[in-house]
Amino acid sequence: MIHFDNVTKTYPNQSRPALENVTIDVEKGEFVFLVGPSGSGKSTFLRLVLKEERPTDGKIHVAGKDLARLTNWKVPYLRRRIGCVFQDFRLLPNKNVYQNVAFALQVIGKPRRFIRKVVPEVVDLVGLEGKHERMPDELSGGEQQRVAMARAFVNRPMILLADEPTGNIDPATSIGIMKVLDRINRTGTTVVMATHDAAIVDSMRKRVIELEYGKVVRDQSRGVYGQAY
Amino acid sequence: MRAQFVFQEVWTGLRRNLTMTIALVVVVAISLSLLGTGLLFVKQVDNTRTYWQGRVQLSIYLCTTTSASPQCKQNGPATVAQRNSIYHDLTALRSQGVEAVYYESQSQAFQRFKKDFAQDRSFSSLVTQSEIPDSFQVKLRNAQADYPVVAGTVAGRPGVDNIVNVQSILSNFYKLLDGARNAVIVVAIILVIAAILLVANTIRLSAFNRRRETSIMRLVGASNFYVQLPFLLEGIIAGMFGWLVAAGLLIAVKTLGLDTLQQYFPYNVRLSLADLIEVIVLAMVMGVVLCGVTSFLTLRRYLRA
Repeated sequence: MIHFDNVTKTYPNQSRPALENVTIDVEKGEFVFLVGPSGSGKSTFLRLVLKEERPTDGKIHVAGKDLARLTNWKVPYLRRRIGCVFQDFRLLPNKNVYQNVAFALQVIGKPRRFIRKVVPEVVDLVGLEGKHERMPDELSGGEQQRVAMARAFVNRPMILLADEPTGNIDPATSIGIMKVLDRINRTGTTVVMATHDAAIVDSMRKRVIELEYGKVVRDQSRGVYGQAY
Repeated sequence: MRAQFVFQEVWTGLRRNLTMTIALVVVVAISLSLLGTGLLFVKQVDNTRTYWQGRVQLSIYLCTTTSASPQCKQNGPATVAQRNSIYHDLTALRSQGVEAVYYESQSQAFQRFKKDFAQDRSFSSLVTQSEIPDSFQVKLRNAQADYPVVAGTVAGRPGVDNIVNVQSILSNFYKLLDGARNAVIVVAIILVIAAILLVANTIRLSAFNRRRETSIMRLVGASNFYVQLPFLLEGIIAGMFGWLVAAGLLIAVKTLGLDTLQQYFPYNVRLSLADLIEVIVLAMVMGVVLCGVTSFLTLRRYLRA
């Protein structure tokens, strides 16, 4: 599903590469934790998958597509198959829960009938039954992240990228978030989650890829966050 | 769905930076109406020119019993023999620039006079047929070059009262209209530049205001077209509002300005409704292209992925 082949990414005006000779294969339906300290290249990895950045060197395949050969105007169609969740939720403050989720479908031109049918299902799936009309500022952090996950998942992407989704959320609420991610993973969606949260990684027992200074230092199935921390 | 959603976005965008939108509409309106006014002037001058070009360029008025000039008083009204000899000499000049010559009798001249001054009854009712001189109306091939030759042949001959070069009278009028047109167009161009900068700024502000929305749109895979369309439409709709105001102003310029001016001319060179519509449509195209292209170019710089 995601294949990095000897990928190096150096940002302009920086001597040290953000990613260096990284080779990673993530298969369909996997749940992968991406761990490592700040600046280790986790976010760069996610940005490369979305083709928000281009690699300096190496090949990237996402959902069967060679990103180097993907023309710019086709990038949006790639992104429709990838859902994204962030630490800061990125909801639209002037739209309610339902509208925030529906927005993702409206802007890719889905018919209204489809949106009316699908959005409530997904909002319920992430555990926000009865809160369709709430505005983001009326929700707790955990609930806001659930809205963001609903938005990321509503178009049934093949891949879900989560960049420290529990970074702004207390541990108790994080468990709920992880349950939703797990539920999404069980539908066959590949999940890649970058995180600092050792407790979560340890409790889930999923594949763990550890990055340090832009290099893969560990790739373990059913791994833990790591002894060094 | 799509249309409703897009227009909702456009409406939000326009409302959110209302002051910029108003400034934009005003500047577009003024620049378009000035451009349109310039075009109306051009058309007016063209109309006047074609009106006169198809007509006589030289009038040779003959002496009548009521002529006031000293030479007519001295020689008396033109005799038939004098008239025939002038006609003969003028037709002989065919090879030297005279295209056509015809004699307008006093009764024909009076009919024309009454028609031309039909709007001014107080004037036309005071004049009788005997006061209107008969004349030779000469059409020249080249009004400027041939005038001296023709005028020299007949000037000062017995029976000739005076020679009027219609072109020289009109040229002053043309100069006035041309000058007004040039001034209007220069101001219009300056305002068009101001409008372009304002469109660019408004769109940029709008893109900045909605950077959250657009970043999410990109994230969930909205096509570039879909991301840019609301902004593009915002520019175009503001341009259309400006055009509507401009259209009103142009109608006013025609009906209150040029048509009023028309009352002072005895001949009819009033611009038709079709002329006005043509100018208004042209202004719309200008406005849409101006706003659309500027928005598009601005977006390419500020909404890049």
